[in-house]
Amino acid sequence: MPGLPQLIEEDVQTLDAALDELLRRSEASAALVIDKGGPLISQRGAVEKLDATTVSALAAGAFSATQMMAEHLGETSLAHIYQQGEHSSLLISNVDENLLLIVVFPAELSVGAVKYYAGDAVRRIAAQLDKAARREPGTNLDLVSMNMLDVSGVFRKAE
Amino acid sequence: MAIINQANKELQVKIVYYGPGKGGKTTNLEQVHSHVGNVQEKGKLVSLATSSDRTLFFDFLPIEAMAIKGFKTKFQLYTVPGQVIYNMTRQLVLRGVDGIIFVADSQYEKMAENVESFQNLEDNLKTLKLDLAAIPYVLQYNKRDLPNVAPVEYLEFLLNNREVQVPSFTSVASQCEGVFESLNMITRMLLNKFINEGARKPA
Repeated sequence: MPGLPQLIEEDVQTLDAALDELLRRSEASAALVIDKGGPLISQRGAVEKLDATTVSALAAGAFSATQMMAEHLGETSLAHIYQQGEHSSLLISNVDENLLLIVVFPAELSVGAVKYYAGDAVRRIAAQLDKAARREPGTNLDLVSMNMLDVSGVFRKAE
Repeated sequence: MAIINQANKELQVKIVYYGPGKGGKTTNLEQVHSHVGNVQEKGKLVSLATSSDRTLFFDFLPIEAMAIKGFKTKFQLYTVPGQVIYNMTRQLVLRGVDGIIFVADSQYEKMAENVESFQNLEDNLKTLKLDLAAIPYVLQYNKRDLPNVAPVEYLEFLLNNREVQVPSFTSVASQCEGVFESLNMITRMLLNKFINEGARKPA
């Protein structure tokens, strides 16, 4: 599993621009790009009311579980999963091997429209990630020069 | 695989607690959540559990701590469900794993389950095209306060009898003994590995 490439300013800007455009066109309230392992990569929109870290972990789990169910039914791919709420709904779309796009939107919006605009965002994000993956890894970040603190006690018990 | 976001100066790592059912994985996370004192930010502990409090999918605890100056280091701690029937779920949770804490149950009658779970970990990693030898992990021998525990040497013989031995810790997770020691060790191992691997990449 190759995993997510290192992201630089240009990548994050493109991701954010794709999400902003998606939010503007679809009138959704928030959009997140997450890694399929659970970590949150980028978030835009009204995220202050959202525990985005937890939503990301849960969405990654839900998508993986649904994908596995689909495989058991003989399906070879899974493009979206949709959770219909009373006030807020959620669409999770597959971006590429590593990423998912989560769109949170008011329940009165049509999921079809959100899915349509999400498709454009997915393509833009996937193209940028493809570009990032082709970049020579390690050339933009000197890990050796990272100033690692004393890691023997990163986590300490409160007295 | 750790996620590096240079734009936000952010590093995200995923640590998974693995081991047999009722071995103390969730208790480890609960203790970290209750007692951790020096972190930048501690998220909510999310448990996807059955009505009888057994882990159904995973427990999840996000913590942001200072490990590298100038870089936000976000730790995502997960547990897997230990019960044998939830193997698919364990595979899903292992996706993107950076470090593993294997929580073994020290009671004599649990030895077969410990060995089976360890074998299952290796098998599941292989399914994900990962090799345990390439992933930092530590062993935690839990429930040392119970009367029927096997000697540490025996647990070492069963679980740590390899060419390269990994660090192991005794613990009583319910009393928070050995919990932080294991977590700090795996953190140290995976950050060291991460930086060493960076050093080997061409400039």
